[in-house]
Amino acid sequence: MSEDHHNPTPPSPIEQRVAALEELLTERGYVPEGFIEDVNRAYENDIGPMNGANVVARAWTDPEYKARLLTDGTAAIAELGFGGPEGHYVKVVENTADVHNVVVCTLCSCYPWPVLGLPPKWYKDAPYRSRMVREPRALLAEMGCPLDDDVEIRVWDSSADARYLVLPARPGGTVGLSEDELVGLVTRDSMIGVARL
Amino acid sequence: MTDLLDVDGPAAPPRSNGELVFDAPWEARVFGLAAAVVETRFDGDREPFRQRLIAAIAADPERPYWVSWAVALEDLVTTTGLLPTGAVDAAVAGRNPSHS
Repeated sequence: MSEDHHNPTPPSPIEQRVAALEELLTERGYVPEGFIEDVNRAYENDIGPMNGANVVARAWTDPEYKARLLTDGTAAIAELGFGGPEGHYVKVVENTADVHNVVVCTLCSCYPWPVLGLPPKWYKDAPYRSRMVREPRALLAEMGCPLDDDVEIRVWDSSADARYLVLPARPGGTVGLSEDELVGLVTRDSMIGVARL
Repeated sequence: MTDLLDVDGPAAPPRSNGELVFDAPWEARVFGLAAAVVETRFDGDREPFRQRLIAAIAADPERPYWVSWAVALEDLVTTTGLLPTGAVDAAVAGRNPSHS
């Protein structure tokens, strides 16, 4: 993937074609204002991460499922109907009071999209990718996730062969909640590991 | 909102080889564009688009996924009369006079 933004190149034929298509369809009123942005935002924040949230809530309420999830993430996620092709390996890592896991992809932008949807923009930014490895504690604090010094931070580097999903710790005060209610508490960022619940 | 993306099968977007779902802004635009057309002109029925996407991918399996997506969308809007045939070519030529 090119990171060179200093030499802008003219739009490629496909970019021009898509821009023309957008212009024509918008002129005819087929594209409500803000629709494209809304769709992209929804995929980034709601639709994809909902799958992951279902996985997390199930793990919180079903100890046997949780054990299976931590042993073989791909298979346990597939039990709920989510997943990708063979060999697309998802490893689930559990946050506890003492351990905080966070996911990054230093090489490109690998992301467990069947469970988390579209990656947020910052995930593919070079500063996130490099700083999360170099100084995770400082970066997490800047992202609104300060951790005590005695919490061990484990940074997981995604690759084409292994994607990671963080199993956030179940928040306190949620004992009486149903699985559905718990799903609503799980955020995308908590499953990347840049937030705690 | 209509879920346009297949999780698996011939019309599912790229998700192996470490690839992002969207590698460039135009890919996100054309994705949203198809969602808008399906929503506003097909009452949320994604099947007509999906069939064209499958056909576009089958026609040129080596082509990048989102290019096939754009081809499928263009095919959908021209074959169903939402845009006149040739309108996109003309608009592209208009954007890029030196290549027309």
